[in-house]
Amino acid sequence: MNKQWNRTIWIHALLIMAFGLVSLYSASYDNLRVSSQVFYDQLTFVGLAVLIMYWISRRDYRKFYDVAYVLFAINLALLVGVHVAGRHALGARRWIELGGLSFQPSELMKLSLILLLGRYLSTRRPALSFDLVSVSRGLWRNLILPLLLTVVPVLLIFKQPDLGTAILLMGIFLIMIFMSGLEFQYLGWLLGVSAAGLPLLWCVMKQYQKDRLLVFLNPNIDPLGAGYTIIQSKIAVGSGGLWGKGWLSGTQNQLNFLPERHTDFIFSVIGEEWGLVGALALVYCYFMVVRAGLDIAEHTKDNFGRLVAVGIVGILMLQVFINIGMVIGLCPVVGITLPFISYGRTSFLVFAILLGFLLSLSRRRNIF
Amino acid sequence: MRIKIIRLISLGLLGLLACELAYLQVVRHRYFFDLSRNNRIRVVPLEGKRGRVLDRNGKIIADNRLSFCASVIPQEVRNEKELFSFLGQVFGEDPQVLFRRYQAGKFAPFAPVVIQEDLSEEIAVKLEENKFRFPGLLIEESFRRFYPFSETFAHVLGYVGKADLLDLEKMKEYGYTPLSLVGKSGVEEYYNQFLRGKPGGLQIEVNSRGQQVRLLGLRSPAGGEDVTLTLDHRLQTMSADLLAGKNGAIIVMDLSDGGILSMVSFPGFDPNMFSRRTDGNETADVFSNPDSPLLNRAVNGQYPPGSIFKIVVSLAGLESNKITPATSFDCPGFYAVGRQQFRCAHTHGVQNLIEGIAHSCNVYFFHLGLMVGAAEMDRYARLLGLGHPTYIDLPHEAGGTVPSPLQRKVSRNQGWFKGDTLNLSIGQGDVLATPLQLVRLMAIVANEGRDVRPHVVLSIGAQRVDQHPLRHTVQFKAKSFADVLRGLRATVTDEEGTAHALDIKGLRVAGKTGTAQTSGDREHHAWFVGYAESETRRIAFCIFLEYGGSSANAVDVAKDLLVRMRQEDLL
Repeated sequence: MNKQWNRTIWIHALLIMAFGLVSLYSASYDNLRVSSQVFYDQLTFVGLAVLIMYWISRRDYRKFYDVAYVLFAINLALLVGVHVAGRHALGARRWIELGGLSFQPSELMKLSLILLLGRYLSTRRPALSFDLVSVSRGLWRNLILPLLLTVVPVLLIFKQPDLGTAILLMGIFLIMIFMSGLEFQYLGWLLGVSAAGLPLLWCVMKQYQKDRLLVFLNPNIDPLGAGYTIIQSKIAVGSGGLWGKGWLSGTQNQLNFLPERHTDFIFSVIGEEWGLVGALALVYCYFMVVRAGLDIAEHTKDNFGRLVAVGIVGILMLQVFINIGMVIGLCPVVGITLPFISYGRTSFLVFAILLGFLLSLSRRRNIF
Repeated sequence: MRIKIIRLISLGLLGLLACELAYLQVVRHRYFFDLSRNNRIRVVPLEGKRGRVLDRNGKIIADNRLSFCASVIPQEVRNEKELFSFLGQVFGEDPQVLFRRYQAGKFAPFAPVVIQEDLSEEIAVKLEENKFRFPGLLIEESFRRFYPFSETFAHVLGYVGKADLLDLEKMKEYGYTPLSLVGKSGVEEYYNQFLRGKPGGLQIEVNSRGQQVRLLGLRSPAGGEDVTLTLDHRLQTMSADLLAGKNGAIIVMDLSDGGILSMVSFPGFDPNMFSRRTDGNETADVFSNPDSPLLNRAVNGQYPPGSIFKIVVSLAGLESNKITPATSFDCPGFYAVGRQQFRCAHTHGVQNLIEGIAHSCNVYFFHLGLMVGAAEMDRYARLLGLGHPTYIDLPHEAGGTVPSPLQRKVSRNQGWFKGDTLNLSIGQGDVLATPLQLVRLMAIVANEGRDVRPHVVLSIGAQRVDQHPLRHTVQFKAKSFADVLRGLRATVTDEEGTAHALDIKGLRVAGKTGTAQTSGDREHHAWFVGYAESETRRIAFCIFLEYGGSSANAVDVAKDLLVRMRQEDLL
């Protein structure tokens, strides 16, 4: 059983990466904005990712338990560092230079937060009772404290600004707090308070983020500005039809109508050139990984392992849904990559680590 | 349990994606596919070479001249500032002006914008030598409409210009674009669809910046057809010389088929002006000139015909058996109605019809007009082609007006008085006619009832245009025409005749003079409408001098015209 899950994850992850490489080749082919160098970069990331996945899958995942708090602390420091000494690109401060390599601490925070919450929430806490003191203490330890721990990096990332990752981190928190066994009534409160807080979010959002939200509701209010990307990507996907226009033959792609098509909007290239068949095949591959991941989580007896596995599956699923959703106009445009396909070093390697963790969990889960 | 919920949520979210993808890519595929095609395909129209216009001898009177123009392709320009300061220096113009022209003409990155047209060879060579320094600069060869006779054929030919909103509205379905050249008046307008030829185009693929990526297809434009006119350039030049400095019109028409041999209107204009790129001053002058040089007086101008109308009144009297040629009236120099006196030019004494026509006696026609009656005069005028267009193949022809008691009642709710009948009898008052209508009237009389359709085009390409030369006959008694013709002939042969000066040896000339009163203090209009026969040819002609004074002036012009035609062997 366990072997089969691992094989499923390996096969589908490799299929996704291969599909990504093929699409990235097309997206950067004869591209006015980026050179074809991105393809060769991505090729090395894929190689690196496979090595990392394999290496981590052979490790004992409990080692992550030990480093969880330290990693989180370091990552927080890096996030603060980004604000102080980060590199500007595309109107945001997201990158930091370390040893000649630049990377995004916000991407790494996905890993750190999952481990942190996994470790914190897996430790036994006093159950909530009707005693007023213990209720408030339980609420503090089971909900408020982990929420505060999450909100600190979320605010730092939101300030970069990187709305997408901030939303993802909140999503991770919700999924993992849900898995930790928090009573439904508190979950209800949490969701209610969050919903009430949404208008506040509007006030602190940057103008371009508001524009994106407005064009999500109606892309035609600004067809050449904020709405351009979403209109063009929908045209690309829709014009692909059932079978697609063929590799390197997508006119929206090859004639440069699609901006950001090698990173966040790469799915529009897939939709255009491979059609519904290719798009569904890709969604199916993600689904298989998600399903195998959930199988692994279900069969893991260890609290930490199970929480982390669900966190990993959750973030994978959320990213796939939000990314594809924004390309086809189902979600507002927030900067989120498509796992294992979008060009981007940090995102790619973080997901390799996450999947490696899943694999190692599956190998070890019978120890206990 | 909670993992099951997460499992369901995952399945739901990914299922939602799959459904939305299927909706976009299958259900709405056609819509998005069309959008993606519109994104990338552009069509650049190409106009065919316009057909030429020839006179009846094959002389070219509207041509296409090769000219060089400097254009700029926006997508290839590297440094706009340098380019335009260079162009400004070469053309001796302000670079800012050239740049504005470029900005205004830019509609797609791949489409060349014309900056300067009709370059001299010297400038073209200079630009060609420096082309390598300025990517995007293009020296294009193009054809421009050229009228070698400039003013002489202006009104018949018309001119060409860029299609305006009205033209586009009218002719959108025929593939006209704002850059198409269309005929704006005259033959250029009336025969535009033949002259224009078949437009072609380039279909090109563009990228997101609108830059050309590759050529998808080309349909070469086909040239238009040459149009041959019935006009004769020698006669046309002659008419134009005779009219130079005066306002008015001359028409010479072949009596056998209605082909117009010459048609000039003055003041004129130079049609070449409209195909030049001017900054508007020159054309604005033409449009605002109070003498209306753009008006083709021969076809589009309507004037009181004066005594020419007596031909109609004579025929009406004879046809309705009110008079015979021998019927006589006494002319004491005026005709009194109540206390009002209607004057005649002289005291002619007793006149019969022939003398009445020859001397253009008003009193004779006052008597005749009252006998015939206004309604009958109106009816005969219409039978003879007045009051409605001749349907010549030129645009916007005026129809003239013939007043009648009924028409006046209907249009102005005013009564008709005896004085009105008297005025109508001598072609004054509300009656208006174009010079062309009077030539046709003369043709009907000279042909003894056989009507001809005036026309200016002989053939299109190799195809002769059938203008229905024998379309109908005015069914009057042959004797009525013969009697009136005797009167018209007497106008020339009689020593006292108003056009005795036209008694030219070797020619048989007949006709009628007219001096039409105008409103205000201006001079009278001077008319002579007649026909002339030689051994070889029969022509009808009209000399009209706007505010030209006495009809004797028109007779003088007619004499010069006939004598010179005789000399040049045109008659």
